[in-house]
Amino acid sequence: MRNWLKIIIILWLCSPLLGITDKKSGDHSTYVQHVEQAFILMFQGDNQKAISEFEAALAIEPDHSEVLHYLGMAYAQEEFWNKAVESCQRALTLMPDNIEALYSLGVVYFKLDQWTDAVEVLQQVVELSPKHARGYEMLGKSLVKLRRYAEAVPILLEALALTPQSPGIYYELGMAHLNLKVYPEAIENFKQAIAYGPTGYAEPHHGLGTAYFRLGDREKSRAEMQIYQQLQKGFAEYERLTRLTRAEPNNLEAWTALATLLMSQKNFAKAVPVFQKCIELAPDNANFHHGLSRAFMNLNYPKHAAEAVRKAIHLMPNQAILYNTLGSTYAMQGDSQKAIGAFRKAVELDGEQPYYHLNLSRLYQGIGNQKLAQEHQRVYEYLLSQQKK
Amino acid sequence: MNTFYLNRRSNHFGIIILLLSIGIRFEAFAQDTEELILVSAGTFTMGSDTRAADEKPMHKVYLDAYYISKYEVTNAEYYEFWKQQLETTASGQTLPHTPENFTHLPQIGDWPARAKRFPNHPVVGVSWHDANAYAAWKGMRLPTEAEWEKAARGYTNRTWPWGNALEPYANTAADDDGYENRLAPVGSFPKGKSYYGVMDMAGNVWEWTADWYSDVYYWHTSQAATKRPKRNPTGPDVGSWRVIRGGSWIDTIARCSTTFRFYLYPNLKTSFVGFRLAKTAEKTAK
Repeated sequence: MRNWLKIIIILWLCSPLLGITDKKSGDHSTYVQHVEQAFILMFQGDNQKAISEFEAALAIEPDHSEVLHYLGMAYAQEEFWNKAVESCQRALTLMPDNIEALYSLGVVYFKLDQWTDAVEVLQQVVELSPKHARGYEMLGKSLVKLRRYAEAVPILLEALALTPQSPGIYYELGMAHLNLKVYPEAIENFKQAIAYGPTGYAEPHHGLGTAYFRLGDREKSRAEMQIYQQLQKGFAEYERLTRLTRAEPNNLEAWTALATLLMSQKNFAKAVPVFQKCIELAPDNANFHHGLSRAFMNLNYPKHAAEAVRKAIHLMPNQAILYNTLGSTYAMQGDSQKAIGAFRKAVELDGEQPYYHLNLSRLYQGIGNQKLAQEHQRVYEYLLSQQKK
Repeated sequence: MNTFYLNRRSNHFGIIILLLSIGIRFEAFAQDTEELILVSAGTFTMGSDTRAADEKPMHKVYLDAYYISKYEVTNAEYYEFWKQQLETTASGQTLPHTPENFTHLPQIGDWPARAKRFPNHPVVGVSWHDANAYAAWKGMRLPTEAEWEKAARGYTNRTWPWGNALEPYANTAADDDGYENRLAPVGSFPKGKSYYGVMDMAGNVWEWTADWYSDVYYWHTSQAATKRPKRNPTGPDVGSWRVIRGGSWIDTIARCSTTFRFYLYPNLKTSFVGFRLAKTAEKTAK
């Protein structure tokens, strides 16, 4: 009994101390909660909300270099460059040899056109991490911006040795060689940039056009400049629509135009979230579900594609083209019977489309029904010849 | 009287059986979660030419035989490590490898209460350093990135551990897997096991690997592979981030693929990163 009394007295005496501990652990718990939430939001691409969460976390525990760097990265994603610089610098004050924070700071300086500062920081990156390809690339780009072409070439070659098929590095190398008047090298670099670059990569064509022009080959120069102009138009339209959808997130017309453009550019990965946004704004529009389905098909996700086109069919049950898409998704999954059923429905709704018959012909051939395969092949050829007339 | 006697005996028998079965089950489960799987020596294909830039290029890698744990390290297993620290450290001091608390996530919870409430959940809230310390305590190590990928992908270049078709065989952010916004106990998705029989390599929690992250590391290993496959790669020499693999309960299924690479500062503790263990297989004397 006496022992119990002692314990109670000790606990009572310690209660203020316990209170302090509880508050501290409570604060830390809130810090953890904010950091967690920030990560989840960042993963989901919601950088603006992630910034608020990181800031809330750092208001409680300000001395976390890593969290400051993540905040800097989120600011950079949102193009708040000055805030990004501030966060990265604070991160580096706490951890001066944080390679990735240095690299991020270099990128942000580059974006702010502070190329001398970028060079200084990026040189530290490659000194600390001699195989940091992004560091060499960004350093090379900064040197090109500063017109220090002769210095840029070996740095970019180092970057290229670490990332052999990088179109961006080839392009910068081409620019350095072009300005050093080493035209054959520049032409080779620009060609490699085009070969390894994404569809629609316009800038190397301009570089090529310039190099040919300076070598006196006006015909080749003109051809490359024409390609450049065509590609620029598509890119400008993409930029315009991206800006418009960012400024007006509920502008369905803009989202629709962006989805159409991305599909025409065969950029299916980017088209998926755009169609999803369209569906969010207009859930009863079958065309968006169908577009999403086609994007998924091109990305080789037949199950997702089937799910999307089924929703479209639910909204518009008498559209032949939707059944044709559904049949294609089944065929991709290897389910010939269901695919035949869907294609037959498409033919039933619109027997004049030659490709529905071609799809049926191929499937019947696949399951060994030569008679029906030949029959649909003949109809296909007949309809095609009629269309050509 | 006779009937009563029989009933009473059968009741006792039932209780004994029940106790035995509980004991047996507990023991069997404890063995299961610590089970190691032997991945035989050989070459496999690492990376992808069609996915993210840091997964390029697809290249051949040779690995010596190694063991990898069938399941991620659980709360119950980590608790033993934590408890031993507690016993060996003077009371009142902060323990160096205590998992982070997530009081805002009741399904994941507070430590050490979490260990008792969810013994079979993968341990989370552990930094790379915690994971490394636990592995050393067990006389093992963290898997290298290449070891992780081979154990998940097998010889047939599977997109997900179970194959190439999108299936709800992992705890992801999707709402069709039965574990919405929470962790699943280890081994909850038997259909999601890899070619080698390793469980939970997609979703639930990301897993720390031993390697530093570099987005161009595969180019070096592939360049070395022009003559023969790179042998037992261990990642870059320096870096800021450690590689994490496998995706988690907050990620889309695409991020849970066998080739997807991600990274985190090694001292961060989150509710979505855990780990599993590996060990080099000793060569048998001939």
